[in-house]
Amino acid sequence: MNISEIKKDFPILARKINGSDLVYLDNAATSQKPTAVIEALVDYYTNHNANVHRGVHTLSEEATEMYEHARKTVADFIGAGHVEEVIFTKGATESLNRVAFEWALENVKAGDEILVSRAEHHSNLVPWQIVCKRNNAELKFLELTESGELTLEEIKEKINSKTKMVGITHASNVLGTIMPIKEISKIAHEVGAVVCVDGAQAIPHLKINVQSLGCDFYCFSGHKMLGPTGIGVLWGRKDLLEKMEPYEYGGGMIDVVTYQESTWAALPEKFEAGTPNVAGAIGLAAACDYLKKIGMDEIREHEVELNKYALQKLSEIPNLKIMGPLDPEKRTGLVSFYLDKIHSHDIAAVLNNTGVAVRSGHHCNMPLHKQMNVAASTRASYYLYNSTEDIDKMVEGIKSAVKILG
Amino acid sequence: MDELYREELMEVYKHPAHRGKVIDPTVEVYEKNPMCGDDLILQLKIEDGKITDAKFSGIACSVSVISSDLLLEHLRGKTLDEAKSISKEDLLAIVGLNLTTSRVACATLSLTALHKALKNYEHKNA
Repeated sequence: MNISEIKKDFPILARKINGSDLVYLDNAATSQKPTAVIEALVDYYTNHNANVHRGVHTLSEEATEMYEHARKTVADFIGAGHVEEVIFTKGATESLNRVAFEWALENVKAGDEILVSRAEHHSNLVPWQIVCKRNNAELKFLELTESGELTLEEIKEKINSKTKMVGITHASNVLGTIMPIKEISKIAHEVGAVVCVDGAQAIPHLKINVQSLGCDFYCFSGHKMLGPTGIGVLWGRKDLLEKMEPYEYGGGMIDVVTYQESTWAALPEKFEAGTPNVAGAIGLAAACDYLKKIGMDEIREHEVELNKYALQKLSEIPNLKIMGPLDPEKRTGLVSFYLDKIHSHDIAAVLNNTGVAVRSGHHCNMPLHKQMNVAASTRASYYLYNSTEDIDKMVEGIKSAVKILG
Repeated sequence: MDELYREELMEVYKHPAHRGKVIDPTVEVYEKNPMCGDDLILQLKIEDGKITDAKFSGIACSVSVISSDLLLEHLRGKTLDEAKSISKEDLLAIVGLNLTTSRVACATLSLTALHKALKNYEHKNA
């Protein structure tokens, strides 16, 4: 992979921030967009814009074809068995909420258990809290080891005949830990539990095949994987999706409507009420094509190298504590850390003075920070366009923050 | 943003005069900024309708610490009505920094705590 060539594909990386070249290390929040994605959006709105599945005129036909082609591209990208298993949503949050309210609310009964890990993003925790509260079910937790990993013993111990749903992140947005989805799915299926995976932090970095993962639902956003904001995917096993009732009703999702009652369209339209985000889906497909062209295996290899480098350089800073596994192979492309005496906001602000963008705070994971007794952390998350020089600039910035504030 | 990290303000950050605990406080409130993990405890001593002592403690970033310290410095000896009338704009003027939107929330955490404390006090004495 030629990083300096890849950087040229991302126009925003040419920007100066406070007089310095932008070093974008906030990819776990959202990634930047390559020209290919930006141009796909411009092309759609410039040449093809119309509503989909509605008209017989040329533009509507073109838009519909592009939208459905985008679905096919995404289905291929994640190894889905059927194209209609790909439901377009506005993002991972909506996808997870759909599983909670379209599947779990109907199927998790009083006394049943929903199991999630201690590392879940608020979006894969709060919906389950609500389902449990409404249905008098119990929310249980998979504990992590000190290094932020999940052991098979823990999974086997917590999954039991009462478990109806396991909600698990594929990769933690704070710790970076890659979770053993295949093993979890296998153990969960032995007791008849359904597995819903939050793939938001994994799909940008790892080659995903939903069938070989063996899970039942896989949820992700487009914007973290080079696509536009406002588009995401709920992938679900066809037999489950077919049995589920939608929670949004209206145009586009119906079969026959009378004044008294209605029936629903087949998959995937049943879950896509209203005019969908056509441009977003087309942009997401362009992102998939771009990632495929670079190669997901190559991207992964590059990020493991960046992990190695970042973990080494950060561990040389006195009093800096790294969260999550220290094995670079066990995490996606991110590292969160904290310094006892310096608030993460100050680190992020000093870094911003030299053009380095990182995230500070609790990254939508308040309980995990509380459990680890960390008020807030700084997170550097990289992607295919980041280099070891970017890590160097960040490390320099942290050192100068220590000098100013320590 | 550079101006934030100038020496005099860093001095306030590293040795805030008003960080600590009030002995026998009249009112105490806890305020947090869920976006960044700042936790602030504000204690006031109120005697004869005046704020005679005020201290803050907790975990906070430099903007939050500096603004808390400067606010409490400004607060000393003020009547309850005077304290109540301190606005966000007043505080930002006291802090004297050109802050970005996300950090205005850090700066005003102490003011939110102050207004909450005064409300609690009034409620208690109503």
